[in-house]
Amino acid sequence: MDQQHFSHPRRNFMRGAAAAAGAAALTHPLSVLAQGAEEIVIGGSIPMTGVFAFAGVGINAGIQDYVKIINDAGGIKGRKVKYVPEDTGYKVDVSVATFKKITSQNKVNLYYGDSTGFSKTINPELERNGNILMAGASFASELNDPKKYPNQFLVGPDYTEMFSILLKHIAKEKPGAKVAFVYSDSEFGRDPIEKSEAEAKRLGLSVPIKIMTPAGSVDVSTEVIKLRRAAPDYTIFHGYILAPIPEFITQGKQQGMKSKWMGTFWTMDSSTVMKMGEAADGFMGVMPYRYYYDTEKAPMLEKIRAMRPEYQSTAYMQGFLAAMLFLESAKRCLDGNKPLTGANLKAALNSLKDFDTGGLIGVPITISGNSIPVGRVYQADVKAQKMVAASDWIKL
Amino acid sequence: MRIGTLKESYVADAALFDSRTQHAWLAIAAVLLVLFPFIASDYWLYLACLVAINVASATGLNILTGYTGLVSLGQAAFMGLGAYTVAILQTRYGTPMLLNLLAGGVVAMLGGIIVGIPSLRVKGLYLAIATIAASFIAHFLFANFEITGGTAGLSLAPARVLGMDLDTSFRLYWLIVPVTVLMLLGAANLFRTRIGRAFIAIRDRDISAEVLGIALLRYKLLSFGLSSFYAGIAGGLWAYFFRVVTPESFPLSMSIFFLAAIIVGGMGSILGGILGAVFMTMVPELLKLLVDLLPGGASLAVFLSPVRLVIFGALIIGFLVFEPLGLAEVWRRVRRFFHLWPFRN
Amino acid sequence: MMDWAYLFEISLTGIASGGLYALAALAFVMVYKATRVVNIAIGEMLMAGGYLFFTFAAMWALPLWLAIPAAVLACGLLGAVIERTMIRPLLGEPPISVFMVTVGLSSVLIGLVEMIWTADQRRLPEFMPTNPIMVGDAFLAPKVFWGAVIAAVFIAAVLLVFRYWRGGVALRATASDQAAAYSVGINVPRVFSLAWVASAMLAAISGIIVGSIGGISSSMGVFGLSVLVVVIVGGLDSVLGALVGGILIGLVEALAGAYLGGEYKLLATFVVLVVILMARPYGLFGTHEIERL
Repeated sequence: MDQQHFSHPRRNFMRGAAAAAGAAALTHPLSVLAQGAEEIVIGGSIPMTGVFAFAGVGINAGIQDYVKIINDAGGIKGRKVKYVPEDTGYKVDVSVATFKKITSQNKVNLYYGDSTGFSKTINPELERNGNILMAGASFASELNDPKKYPNQFLVGPDYTEMFSILLKHIAKEKPGAKVAFVYSDSEFGRDPIEKSEAEAKRLGLSVPIKIMTPAGSVDVSTEVIKLRRAAPDYTIFHGYILAPIPEFITQGKQQGMKSKWMGTFWTMDSSTVMKMGEAADGFMGVMPYRYYYDTEKAPMLEKIRAMRPEYQSTAYMQGFLAAMLFLESAKRCLDGNKPLTGANLKAALNSLKDFDTGGLIGVPITISGNSIPVGRVYQADVKAQKMVAASDWIKL
Repeated sequence: MRIGTLKESYVADAALFDSRTQHAWLAIAAVLLVLFPFIASDYWLYLACLVAINVASATGLNILTGYTGLVSLGQAAFMGLGAYTVAILQTRYGTPMLLNLLAGGVVAMLGGIIVGIPSLRVKGLYLAIATIAASFIAHFLFANFEITGGTAGLSLAPARVLGMDLDTSFRLYWLIVPVTVLMLLGAANLFRTRIGRAFIAIRDRDISAEVLGIALLRYKLLSFGLSSFYAGIAGGLWAYFFRVVTPESFPLSMSIFFLAAIIVGGMGSILGGILGAVFMTMVPELLKLLVDLLPGGASLAVFLSPVRLVIFGALIIGFLVFEPLGLAEVWRRVRRFFHLWPFRN
Repeated sequence: MMDWAYLFEISLTGIASGGLYALAALAFVMVYKATRVVNIAIGEMLMAGGYLFFTFAAMWALPLWLAIPAAVLACGLLGAVIERTMIRPLLGEPPISVFMVTVGLSSVLIGLVEMIWTADQRRLPEFMPTNPIMVGDAFLAPKVFWGAVIAAVFIAAVLLVFRYWRGGVALRATASDQAAAYSVGINVPRVFSLAWVASAMLAAISGIIVGSIGGISSSMGVFGLSVLVVVIVGGLDSVLGALVGGILIGLVEALAGAYLGGEYKLLATFVVLVVILMARPYGLFGTHEIERL
């Protein structure tokens, strides 16, 4: 009796344990050896689904296309480039998990992250790893700190710099103007507000009111009333993608406000602005890259248009440019016969002086810290359904 | 086949694990837990740590909701209290790790007791909604004060133990898993004592419990306090694991996740808490593996995030409709089958 | 010196936006009154209504007089399906189980919306009059005003229905005592379905209005949390409470937002919730539940 008592449960358990051990071993770093020996690997936690999907899909396509261009031209010093993306649904814990998965299965040199939260969370891991240079979809001012985030960079100006570009433009157009800030109650929204208020004062502008809207708020009538009473000449929206900007503009216009309306990067994609309908007319904002349909001379834009006949979003541009900067840094490292470590890649990135992005950014760029403080003010032309340039390229 | 259970002393009767089979299983499980970090890759270690933290928190919620019958949607807020306490102590005062964890647990416990005060006046669903309010108030506190770093949150240096930094999943495993096991044993023991039985009595019929002499408010507050203590420690472990704490780290959806975990696992049993937390944490990963294996997987991957949501909701609904006692009941049925074999019933 | 004009303007807007809450709260109360189910997925049902309207009006370009009823009816159908498949099987179970089912339901609805329409934010086609409403010097946004008017109309209609129509009386009878309702000959399961269908249709109307103000997105459902506060304040089973509670919460939010700042809006709402739970747990107009052993 006693023998039988033990055999079944134990036997089943042993079988289960063996299976579990086998499964665990399969995902062991032994699989690293499966990857090609001399490849340059770009890993990505890309938000291809979820609230940021419109950007994630674009970023993914942008990186893919640039990698294809480089590989078709023979790679970087004979090494092929491999792009390993995974979807994260814009959730930080999923992004971290995919990072761990991709870095345990490949020898990753360059990584693209999907959010500010992820970039902050993964930073200690990046430092420990020491072999990866990271960029991301985020433009958070906090990340623009080479001491705290030595292995990361932003693919454009940070949010505070975006505000500065807008404020510089305003100061030139209308000195001493009143500028209202409307922003969302989130880290994204709050990021540039304090510093930008100081910058505005420095440029001789005044900030009569700062309005913060709670996340997910539907009805903004109260806020519009407050905005109207402040009677600003310009209103800058930040921390939103679309809502509640159209409602603000519509109600503001109904109440007779004469303010000009402006936004920052994530609002400024052509399709997003056009969704605002009538309210979009005259809407301005800062954009560090050229738009897909810009007619000025830009060899890279022409290549993109040849590869992709339909409109590509500004997120695509960001991904494309990120891949370009990644691979340029890798190339400079290899040119100097240096191993591809995080520190060397970052140094190579910082060596970019007056670098020509092929027209993606309208002027040659220099990356001395963690960001690219260049941008241009674009304005919406609802009739033509396009964004047109309203200023020169402004360098900070 | 197990025929009868003969106990010859009170101690033996009240034992948690009473048969030799159970002891054997436990020994094997212990050996596997010890061996696991040496054979698993970084990714699986990361998942194991996450699962352990979720198990700890789910067990806390089980004490409150499964055993005492007080539905709470504030578990994430209490975890946040614990996590922020640990983060603030670690970054400002550099106090030792275990002290920080305990402090995190205590602060969360105090928060839980405060939230539990209305529990005498309001019952059932009203209480659940009050805990939602607690969730939002906690979020407000985290996001709007200097000491908690505002909306940017706080970053932690890794925990230092005996001069060694706990900065890899491998090293954190040795902190998180033993703490979780201790907490599980504590919870299991709790329900052998008078206090545990009082909780169960409150769940079944609280007015009758009061008639029997159980001081309702005291025991309800105790239940809130204990469950949020567990949440606070789990939150502290979370803080050491992720090393960044922001107000967005502990949203209402996380509380819903834990409630779903104990429903799916089986409310009112420790094993249910474990099974539920493991299951709910691993389902998204299994889903990803499945999508990778299917042909045409790349285009299906676009649907991964919404499908996860649908499956999450469908699991909750499915278990409530078809198996209200959860995975633990399924497990018990399997065990019964083996116990009674070769007989049917 | 108190700026009375400002206070008046803010209060007016607050009351009107409270009307929006009241309509959604009405949908909630409809279900609770008849079936004693706390439907936390009310925000997501609102979202479903908004997206259905978007499909009919924008994607299939149906004319407005066709799109709105189509969306409302489609949402009513959704309500019937939900009731049959998820709520009916849990008829005798403790209320907490049904509550958790609605929690699961909200997840499922969000996932379905993201699968079919993606998670992008969208705008609904404009259909409400755009002339601003002026009360003296105070300005009121037209969408909010008309939304409040529609809400008031429906609440009045529902109040009358519950008092005078046989179906409404049957609903109240089922709510107070199921067994007695059965014995009097009321088809209780049919009453349940009716309640859920009506609730879903009201939610759809509310969703269309809310969507036309703030746009639609897969995270629209958080509106449901504010609605939850409204029904607790007003009383879970009181139609009049939905109106009063909605107006009160709308006013509190507007005042908090105007005088304290945007981050205090939600906090103020939840503080009111806690106060009401401590002082009058059954809400201002709810029926006091007597617990029997």
